[in-house]
Amino acid sequence: MSPLAAVPPAPTLRLKDADDKIVELAQYKGCVVLINFWATWCPPCRKEFPSLGRVRKLFKPGEFEVIAVNVGEDPDAVFSFAGITDFPVVFDRDSKTMGAWSVRGLPTTFLVDRQGRLAYRATGGREFDDPEIVNLIKAML
Amino acid sequence: MQEGFVRVWSFFLMAFLFAWNVAAQDGMEMRYLVRQGSVALGVNPLTASARKAFYEARGFTATAIRPYAEACGFSFGMQNATDRTIRTALSDWHAVDADGARITLTLPEAWDAQWDKAGMPSAARIAFKWAQFQTSNVFEPGDWIMGMATLKSVPKAPFRLVARYQDNKGDHELVLDKLECAYD
Repeated sequence: MSPLAAVPPAPTLRLKDADDKIVELAQYKGCVVLINFWATWCPPCRKEFPSLGRVRKLFKPGEFEVIAVNVGEDPDAVFSFAGITDFPVVFDRDSKTMGAWSVRGLPTTFLVDRQGRLAYRATGGREFDDPEIVNLIKAML
Repeated sequence: MQEGFVRVWSFFLMAFLFAWNVAAQDGMEMRYLVRQGSVALGVNPLTASARKAFYEARGFTATAIRPYAEACGFSFGMQNATDRTIRTALSDWHAVDADGARITLTLPEAWDAQWDKAGMPSAARIAFKWAQFQTSNVFEPGDWIMGMATLKSVPKAPFRLVARYQDNKGDHELVLDKLECAYD
C-alpha cells in the first residue's frame, strides 16, 4: 500500500448495511480502519475479500476494524457471495461515497489512522494478511 | 431459459477474468503480454457473447449492450511494480491495423452517454463504469488495475496496440504486436 503524503482527513463515510443499520466511520475514531471499496462482479475484489476477514481476526476489536463498501449492488447479490461476515458490509448504491473518496478503480482500499486521516491507499487486489500490510497496520496502532 | 444462459455465460466470463487475475498476480501470464522494466500490460480479447452475458446480468438490455459487445474489445490488466507513480490516459492508446490504419479506443464516457440516452438503470451504468479500464489512471507503486475497453472500429488483423504511460522520467510506450479480436 502507498502512503498518502498529505495524510488528509478521511471523507465522510455513512452508509447502511444489509439490515438498514447506519454504519459510520466516525464511530470508529481511535481505531485503525481498513476501508475496502468492492463489487461482486470485480474478479480481484472477489479474490481479496476473504483476506479482509483474516486480517480482521489478527487484531483486537477496538484497535483495528474493517469496513467493506459495496458499490452499486443490492444486499441479495452481496449476501450470495459474501455470506455472513464478522465485519460490516455497507452499500454505496449510487456510488456517491466512492466519488467522495476519489476512488479510481475497483478494488480500492484505504487505511485510516487513529486520528481519522487517510494514511495509505492501494488500487488493485491485495492479500490483506500479507505480513507487509499487517506490519503497516501494527505500526499505526 | 435465456436467463439461465445469461447466468452461465456470465459465470464463465467471471471465471475467465478470475483465472486471469490469479495469473496476473503470479506473473501476468496473459494471452498477450508486454513488459517494460517493472511495468506490465496484459491483454485478453473478449467475445461478444461473453460481454453480452456479463452486462445483461447487470441490468443492460440486449439491444442497448449490443454495440459495445460487438465492438472489438479486451480486458486490460496493467501493473506498476516500479517505485514510481505512473499515469495512463486511454485517449493516448491506439491500435495500428494490418493496413496501417490508426484506430483509437472508445472512452467509457462515450459509452455512458449512450446508456443515458437508452435509459439504462443506474446500477447497470455504475457496474459498466467501474468494469472499464478508466479514461485516466494513476498507478502508485504496487498498484495494478484491470478493466475492459473497446476499439472504435474493428481492425484488420493482425494489429498492433500502442499503450502509453508517463512517469517522472517522461513518456513511455508499451507495444503489443499480432493482436486479434475475439469472435464467438
